[in-house]
Amino acid sequence: MDYVFQFGVVWDHCDELLDGAWLTLRLSVGGFLIGLTLAGLIAYLREVGPRPVRFGLGTYIEFIRNTPLLVQLFVLYFSLPMLGIRLDADIAALVGLTLNFAAYGAEILRGGMLSIPYGHIEAARALGLSRWRTFRHVILLPSLRVAFPALSSQFVLLMLGSSVVSAISATDLTAVTNTLQSTTFRAFEFYFAATGIYLSMALAARLLLALAYVRLFPAAGRGAQ
Amino acid sequence: MDRRNLLTAGGLAGFVSAASAAPAAAQATGTLSTLDRIQREKKVRITAEVDSPPFGILDTNGNPDGSEIATARQLAKDLGVDLEFVQVNATQRIPALLAGRTDIAISSLSITVDRAKVAAFCAPHGALSIVVCGPKSTAISKAADMAGKRIALTRATLEEATVPKAAPPGTQLVYFDDIGPTIQALLSGQVDAAGMSAFAARSVADRNAAAGIEVKFTVTTAYYAAVVRQADESLRQWINTWVFVNSRNGVLAGIYEKYTGVPLPPLPTL
Repeated sequence: MDYVFQFGVVWDHCDELLDGAWLTLRLSVGGFLIGLTLAGLIAYLREVGPRPVRFGLGTYIEFIRNTPLLVQLFVLYFSLPMLGIRLDADIAALVGLTLNFAAYGAEILRGGMLSIPYGHIEAARALGLSRWRTFRHVILLPSLRVAFPALSSQFVLLMLGSSVVSAISATDLTAVTNTLQSTTFRAFEFYFAATGIYLSMALAARLLLALAYVRLFPAAGRGAQ
Repeated sequence: MDRRNLLTAGGLAGFVSAASAAPAAAQATGTLSTLDRIQREKKVRITAEVDSPPFGILDTNGNPDGSEIATARQLAKDLGVDLEFVQVNATQRIPALLAGRTDIAISSLSITVDRAKVAAFCAPHGALSIVVCGPKSTAISKAADMAGKRIALTRATLEEATVPKAAPPGTQLVYFDDIGPTIQALLSGQVDAAGMSAFAARSVADRNAAAGIEVKFTVTTAYYAAVVRQADESLRQWINTWVFVNSRNGVLAGIYEKYTGVPLPPLPTL
């Protein structure tokens, strides 16, 4: 194989690559924060909500978890306009990633919630805590502690999975890389660079989340470790 | 008697090892050309882009069909080898060739100087034009009207190379990896117009009469050709010869007209 590598071409376009990486970051963080809030709400409603609400949310979660993210994005971007709702590519990407994360996040949080011994809830009742305060202090925060590693993995999966938004023309890192390699024909160099950028972002994210874990849940309150 | 048998055995062994070492040596030193390798293995790999009507489509049985697919089949038949299709999308046509996943790229690759920097074009065997098309509600009649409108383009195509240069400032260009999503974006109203080959535009208009897609203006015309790696000179010369012969005996014209519905224009030499 006599291929001559030319990474200088990549360096010439590094501004565009970083713009793409910036959108990837914004979509991932936005999807994570909004999705996590939604996930908490969904998990709460699935425990204490009325039956139809629980059934409806369960259906939504199963739909998201059993269909590919790409197909969900296609529905949001290509099918919704048929119903009169036209979303911009970036907005459709954010909505798709948020709904996707919320479904997985709700299941992860539910797993965390199920790990709370029922004795704790009984004790809270006995102490006269209201339903909401019980939920917040005895159920939600401890389950977040249990679920944190799974949630941080899910965030990294979300960030890496966000590469499919290039299929609906959102100009994320993968989209920019594809455009650049198609015009310069330096496929190896550009994909290598994109891999490096994704790797750096994912590792940085994991580091920040690990630091957040240690900060939010100091060793004293973490229980049996 | 022992010595005679020994000499015969030694002679045979030497002959056999020399005969088998020669091609191995040729391969080891890289002197086996792609054309030689194709003829030795009795197999050629050619790209198949199946979402680019009428050059490459999937027929009702899910098999590749289209003018470029038929051209590839004819080429393999005349070369006397088996054909293996390597399915690619628009952006992967040349990268697959450069990476060695395919031997020849026959997927309506228009001749441009940028592509010629990294790969070698053979003599052209077809022609196409790039147009901007859209629904009747989009008011575009020339390039300048694109300002403020959303125009969908497919990456790594001639429309990606030419429409942005013709587009005035203020045009929003939206890029997709495949021709399929580009067409979907047009039909679903996500974009006001799309750039594609005139044949593809007509195919979209015919299959979606309700959408009222019409051609707005022509951007450019081009000839397309088979593409090979720059080092494969003997293969390139063979394909040039094949195009020369088949552009005179009506075979290429027959394939072109069957799938596009228009006669093949006179083909220049490269």
